[in-house]
Parts: sequence; C-alpha cells; structure tokens
Amino acid sequence: MRPPRDSKTNPEHMDTGLQPERTDLAWSRTTLALIIAAAIFLRWMPHHGWFAGVLVTAATATAITINLTRKHRFRRAVLGINNERMPADLISTGSVASSVVVLAAAGIFTVLFLPLQ
Amino acid sequence: MPSQEILKEGFRRGSFESRILSGGTEPDPRFTLANERTFLAWIRTSLAMLAGGIAVEAFTTDIFVPEIRKTVAVLLLFLALIIGGGSFFRWLNVERAMRRNAPLPLPMIAPVLAAGGVVVALVFIVFVIMRPA
Repeated sequence: MRPPRDSKTNPEHMDTGLQPERTDLAWSRTTLALIIAAAIFLRWMPHHGWFAGVLVTAATATAITINLTRKHRFRRAVLGINNERMPADLISTGSVASSVVVLAAAGIFTVLFLPLQ
Repeated sequence: MPSQEILKEGFRRGSFESRILSGGTEPDPRFTLANERTFLAWIRTSLAMLAGGIAVEAFTTDIFVPEIRKTVAVLLLFLALIIGGGSFFRWLNVERAMRRNAPLPLPMIAPVLAAGGVVVALVFIVFVIMRPA
C-alpha cells in the first residue's frame, strides 16, 4: 500500500474494489430516497399544514446533512484503506437510522391521530 | 499528516463508542465499508416503505374506504419504522461480530420485511375481491 501523497486535496488509494466510491454512491442513493420521501410528504401539506411541513423539512435536512458530510466520509474511507484500519462510523449510521425512525413514527401519528382537513 | 490524524482518532475514541462496539479489534476497513453499504441498502428499503405509506394515505382517498386506507398506510409506516431501527442494530451486530472474528448474525429484519409485504399484499387482494364491481 502506497501512503497518500497529498490526501488533503487529492485523496488517493490503491483499493481495486473501489470501496470508498461505492460507499459514497450508496450514501448519495440514500439522499435521493430521502428527497423522494420528502416530496411525497408535500402531498400531506394541504391536509395537515405545518406538521407536514416539519416532516418535509426534517427529511430534506437529513438529505442535505448527508450530502454536506460526504467528502468527510470519503476521505475517512480512503485513509482507512491506506492505513488498513478504520473506526466504524457509528454517528452517521445512528443518526440516519434515528431520523428514519422518527419520520416513520411521526407518519403513524399523523395517519392515526390527525384528522384530514 | 492526515494518516496520523485518523490513527489518533481511532485511539482517542471515547469509552462510549468502544463500549457500544463491544471491544475486539477493528476488522479490515473493506468489511466495515461493506457493512455500511448493506446498512444503507436496508435504510433505503425502509424509506421505500415510508414513501409507500405516505403515498397510500395521500393519494388513495377516492379509492379506499378510510379503514383500509389507514390500515395499509399504518402497516407500511410501521414496517418502515421496524426496518429502519432494525437496520441499525443489524449493522451494529455485524460490526461487533466482525470485531470478534465471530460468524455473522442472521438478518432478523429480512423475515419481518417478507411477512410485512405479504400482509400488505393480502389486504389489497381482499379489498379487490370484496369490492363491489
């Protein structure tokens, strides 16, 4: 394994399995799924008003946060491959999973307890 | 130097995180990344259920009676909740197993997804059969 040359501006790795890139693409597909969920939540706005707006905002904010931290995760993965060790990304997985759980719980609450207007 | 940075980050990790990951040694980073991608695939499955549940509630007011509509929407949203939460624990359990060099656990959310899909499909089938022509 070759050490990174100037990994601050140009992260390089020798992994022929393209692990950092595949992981990065998996994250961006997840942001797309979140945007779709947010777009469908928009359909609740005429019926549920500001509460649906909060759900749209929450889903979009999660997608934007993932996108803003993409570079950091890519760099971390490249360095991990180069160093042959990488701590598991507990914070990223934990926060995305909690955000999806909260969105689903809020959806159930809306369907069961908020009347259609 | 960035490589030193990340190594220190690994050592600096607080007792909170190492307690959650249950000790052991860090596996090959490729396995950690593969586990992360599998987690994301489950999260997207959960998001598909979420989008489906919202869509049923939002778009089918003219098709379904409120009881069926609400039942299907809540089933899908509940499935999204279980799979979304379950995917994190699956990710954690796989990471723990890899750190201890133990066999990987079975995905318990897979039968949940299958059973949930069957129940939702059955509700729709019953609705189509019972619907007055």
